Amino acid sequence: MTMDIRLLRIDSRLIHGQVTTNWAKAIKVNRILVVSDRVAKDLTRRTLIIQATPPGIRANVVTVEKMIRLYHDPRFSFLKPMILVEDAVDARCLVEGGVRIDSVNIGAISFDTTRVMVTDAIAVNEDDVAAFKWFHERGIKLDVRKVSNDSSKNLWKSLSEKGLV
Amino acid sequence: MTRREKILTYLEKRTFSMSEGVTTNEISEATGVLRSNVSRELNQLVREGRIKKTNGRPVHYVVNHAAGKRKGKMQQKPNIGFAGDARISDQNIEENYTANRNEVDVFENMIGSRDSLRNQVEQAKAALLYPPHGLNTLIIGPTGSGKTYFANKMYHFALDREIISKKGFTTFNCADYAHNPQLLMSHLFGYVKGAFTGANDNKDGLIQEADGGMLFLDEVHRLPPEGQEMIFYFMDHGTYSRLGETTKVHHADVRLVYATTEDPESSLLQTFVRRIPIIIQLPGFNQRNAREKLQLLEQLLTLEANRIHKNIRLSEDVVQALLGSVTYGNVGQLKSNIQLVCAQGFLNSMHNKNEITLLFSQLPPNIKDGLSNLANNRQELGNLSRLLEPTMVIKPDAKRGLPDIDSYELPYNLYEIIGDKAALLKEEGLDQAAINNFIMTDINLHLKSFYHQGKLEKTVNSLNEIVDQEIIDLTKQIQQLLQERENYPVRDNFIYAMSLHISSFIKRIQSGKPLRTISSDLISMVHDYPAELKIAERVKDLIEDHYHFPIPESEMYYMAILLVSLKSEPKTGKVGIVVAAHGNSTASSMVQVVSQLLSVDNIAAYDMPLEMSPKVALDGIASQVKSIDQDNGVLLLVDMGSLSTFSSKLTEKTNVHVKTIDMVTTAMVLEAARKTALIDSDLETVYRELREFNGYSRTIERVQKKKNDVQKRSNQRQKAIIAICSTGEGTARRIKDLLDKILVDNLIDDITVITVSVVNMKEQIAEIQQNYQIVATTGVVKPQVAAPFVSLENLFQGGGESFVGLIEEINNHTARETEALEQSELLTEEMSQKYLGQYFTFINPVKIAKILWNYCGFIQQRSKAKMSNAFKISLIMHMAGALERYLTRSEMSVDEQRLSRVRTEKMYPIVKQANEVLHKTLNVNLSDPEVYFIVELFNTEKEKNDTQSN
Repeated sequence: MTMDIRLLRIDSRLIHGQVTTNWAKAIKVNRILVVSDRVAKDLTRRTLIIQATPPGIRANVVTVEKMIRLYHDPRFSFLKPMILVEDAVDARCLVEGGVRIDSVNIGAISFDTTRVMVTDAIAVNEDDVAAFKWFHERGIKLDVRKVSNDSSKNLWKSLSEKGLV
Repeated sequence: MTRREKILTYLEKRTFSMSEGVTTNEISEATGVLRSNVSRELNQLVREGRIKKTNGRPVHYVVNHAAGKRKGKMQQKPNIGFAGDARISDQNIEENYTANRNEVDVFENMIGSRDSLRNQVEQAKAALLYPPHGLNTLIIGPTGSGKTYFANKMYHFALDREIISKKGFTTFNCADYAHNPQLLMSHLFGYVKGAFTGANDNKDGLIQEADGGMLFLDEVHRLPPEGQEMIFYFMDHGTYSRLGETTKVHHADVRLVYATTEDPESSLLQTFVRRIPIIIQLPGFNQRNAREKLQLLEQLLTLEANRIHKNIRLSEDVVQALLGSVTYGNVGQLKSNIQLVCAQGFLNSMHNKNEITLLFSQLPPNIKDGLSNLANNRQELGNLSRLLEPTMVIKPDAKRGLPDIDSYELPYNLYEIIGDKAALLKEEGLDQAAINNFIMTDINLHLKSFYHQGKLEKTVNSLNEIVDQEIIDLTKQIQQLLQERENYPVRDNFIYAMSLHISSFIKRIQSGKPLRTISSDLISMVHDYPAELKIAERVKDLIEDHYHFPIPESEMYYMAILLVSLKSEPKTGKVGIVVAAHGNSTASSMVQVVSQLLSVDNIAAYDMPLEMSPKVALDGIASQVKSIDQDNGVLLLVDMGSLSTFSSKLTEKTNVHVKTIDMVTTAMVLEAARKTALIDSDLETVYRELREFNGYSRTIERVQKKKNDVQKRSNQRQKAIIAICSTGEGTARRIKDLLDKILVDNLIDDITVITVSVVNMKEQIAEIQQNYQIVATTGVVKPQVAAPFVSLENLFQGGGESFVGLIEEINNHTARETEALEQSELLTEEMSQKYLGQYFTFINPVKIAKILWNYCGFIQQRSKAKMSNAFKISLIMHMAGALERYLTRSEMSVDEQRLSRVRTEKMYPIVKQANEVLHKTLNVNLSDPEVYFIVELFNTEKEKNDTQSN
C-alpha cells in the first residue's frame, strides 16, 4: 500500500496564506509535503514556509529523492498528503520516481527572464513546457486552479493557444 | 539591593540622626554609587514625593515622612529584589490600587495580563460586562494552570464593577461527587423533604446560595448528563427545581463559570462547548514566556516570604531548577515545589532572623533534576538566562498579600509547625542534623499527604497510557518499601523504569512465553552487586504477593540489574573543562553555547577583561578549576599567550591535574565537551585527541573535500538509536515502538531503533557500532557512547517531543537555528525585497518593499499584536499579490455574507486604516474582498499562535 496523494500542486511560492489553507481544508489532507531540493537547503525559505503553514496541519520540507523514498516505504502509507513543488520539472521527477497521480494542479509559476506568461499567474520556460508535454503524453491532466472552488482550466489548452506546444 | 534601595535606606538612616539632610556627594560616597546615578535616583524620588529637597546650595535631601501613605506603593518596585536592576518587575502593578474602586482592574496585576493572558483577560471582561446579564464562561486549561485563580479574578472584577450584587464566590468540584449523581445534584440544586431517604428537611442547593453572586463549577466534564441538562435549563431560563420537585419554580441570578482540564474536542465537553458562548483557554506553564515564568516564581516566593516574614535568597541555579521542576502540574506544581523548598530552607536557616537561603545542593533530587530538564530546552534556558541575575532576593511584601484560597494552599501554617517542632526537638537535646532530618521527613509527609489527595497525582499520567494503573500502584509500593525500609536511594526515573519492567515481564509470564534463561554473564554481573540482589529478592516477593503466582528466579537477576542501573548518578567523575579567554564575555559565551547544545555540567568559563592582571587571572582560573574538578583532571582551553603556560602553576595551586590547549574556538570547546562527556575518558587521551582537532569544517580544505563527502555519504553507516533495558526485550521494546512511531511521524526513514540489554551492554553496543552510527541513546541506564542520552521520564513525559528535536538536530544540524530564525535579523526588509523580486512580475521590489514593510509596522503598532518577522514577510508577499491583482484588474471576489462578517472583526478597521495609508502613498485602493483576505491572514496567524500555545 502506498500513500494516498490528495494533490500534487505546482506553486512557486509553495505554502502561502489563504491559498494553502483553502486547499488543505477542501481536500482533507493530513500533511503538507513541500518537495524541493532548493528549499530543503535554504534555511530562511524553510522557516518562512513552515511559518505560513495553516493551523492544525503539519508541514515537512523534503528533497525530491526523499519524497520518492517515502512514497515507496509502506511505513509512511498513513500519509494523505498534499505535495507542493516549485516547478514542473520537480513534479516530473516525482512521477518519474514512481509517484502515481492522474492530475497535476498548477497554481502559480512566477515570471522571470527565462519565462513567458501563459495565464495571469503562470509563466513557463522551455524546461517547463517539456515537462508539461511529458505529463500530457502520459494522460496526466494539467489542472489550473488557484483555489479548490475555482473552475478548472486545462493548461494544455493555454499552451496550445500560445503556440508553445 | 538596587541602587534606589541603597540610596533610600541610607537616606532613611541619616534623616533620623540629622535634621538638615544629606547631599548628593555624601550619598555617593557612602553607598558607592556614582554621583550622576545618585543624582538621577534622587530626582526621581523627589518627583515621586518620597523625599524632599532643601532650597539653596548644596541641595540637601531628607525623607518625606508625610508621604507615609504612598510609601507602601512605592516600595512595591524595589521589593522584587534582584541583585541588579529590578527589571522584571511590573512597574504599574499597584499604580491603580489607590484609585477609585470602580476603576480598579483586578486583572491588571495578574501576571501575563498584558502578554500570554491578554486575550483571555479580554474575553473574561467581555463575558462579564456583556449586557444584560453577562455570558457564561468555560475556562479550559491543564492541571495547575490557574483556572480557579482566574475565575476568582473574574469574581473580583465583577464585584468591583458591581456586576454582581452579592459577595460570594461559591465553588463546587463536580469530580467530588462524580460517582454519586444524586448526591451531586442535591448539592447543586437542593432538595425537598422526602426526596430521598434521609432528606428530612427542605434544603437549598449551591445555586440558591450563589444567588446574586458567582458559582464556579470545576471539573465540569464530570457532571453527569442529568446534571448537565438541569444546568443548561437553568442557564437558559434562570429557573430550576430542587430534587423531588416537579416544577421549576425557583429562581436565582447566578453568574456561572465552568472549568475543565479536558480537551474541548472530547465528547464529554462537546455539549458544553456548544452551549457556552465564551471559552477561555489558559496556557500551560511551559507556554508562558521566560519573563512571565520568572514573575510567577517571584510572586509565589513573595507569598512564602510574607508567611515567614523573612527575605528569601536564592541563586540562579535554584531559580532554574525550580522552573525546570515544573513538568506536568504547571503553576500549581511550581507553587507546591516552592513551598517544599521554602520549608526546607526555613528549616536550614532557622538561626537567621532575617533571611532564608535556598541552596542548590540542598534541593530534593526531583527538583534538582529540574535544572537538567531546563537544560534540555536550550532556547528557553537562553531566554531565562538573559533575565536572571546570579542571586535573587525576595522580600516580604504586604501589598502582594497572602494568597487567595485555592486547592494548592495548605490548610495550616507549615512554617509554624516546623518552628514549633524544631524548638521541641531542641529541648529534647537532639543535635541540629538529627532535627533537620526529622523535620524534613515531616515536611515531605505533610506536602505529600496533602497533594496526594488531589491535584498532583498526575505525575504518571503519560505512563498511565502505556502501563496499567495496577502496576504503577505496585511500583509505588515498591518505591516506598525501598525508600523507607531498605533505605535504598531512589530517583525520579524509578517509577518509569520499574513499572515498565514489571509490566513487560508480567505480560510475558501471563502469555505463557518461555522463561528467560539465566546466562553466565548475567550471574557474573549480578555477583558484583549483592546488595541489589537482596533487594531484588524483596521486590520479587512483593510482586509474587500481589499477583499470587511465582516469579521465576531469572527475573530476580534482571531486577537486580535494573536496580544497579537505576542507582543514582555515576560516581566516576568526568574530565572538567575550563575555558579562559580575554574579553568581557568571550569565554562565557562560548561555554554558554556549548552547554546549551550538549547540556553538559562539566564546563566552566573564566572571562578576562583586557586590563586584568595575570596574577588575578591565575587565581580566578584556579578557583574555576577547583569548582569543576571531579577528580579526573581539568582541561584548560585558553585563547592565547601567557595563559598557555599556566598548567603547572595551576596544578601546583589546586592539586588538580591540568592540561592546557591554546587557540580555543567554540568548535573546540564543543569537541572537548563531547569527548569529556564520556565517563571513561581520561585527561591525557582527551588532550591528545583535541590537539589533533582542527575544526569541523576547514574552509581551505572544504572545496576539495566536498566531492569525497558526497561519496562518503552514500556508504556512510546507517544511523541508529539505542534503547536499553535490563532484558533488552521489555521496556526497550516499548521504547522502540514509541520511537518508531515518532520517527515515522516526522518522516525520518533513515534511523533504526535497536534494543539492547544491560547484560553485555558494552559488547552489544560495540557490535552495533560496527554497522551503525549511534546517534542517541535512551533507557534505564546511560551507556558510554559519544551520543546524547535521553532519560526515560523525559522520553515519556514529553511524549517524545524532546526526542524529535534531538533527532532533527542530528539529521540536519539546523533545526535549532530554525527556531531562532523566526524572529531573527535575517528576515529583513532586504530579504522581503529579494523575494518580491523573485515571485512577482509587475511591481518594483525596490520601491514596494519599503512601503509594505512600513505597512506591517503600521498594523503592528495599531493592533499592538506581536508579529514575527516571518509573518511580516508572509504579509508583505500577500500584499504584493494584492497590489499586482489590483494592477492587472484581477482582484479576488468574496460573497457578501463573508464581507459583512469581516466588517465586525477587530482587525478590520486597522487594516482599513493601513490601506488608507497605502492609498495615500500609491493611489491604490484595495477592494473589500482584498481587505477580507488580509484580515483572514491575521486570523489564521492568530489561530495558529493560539493552537501552538495550547
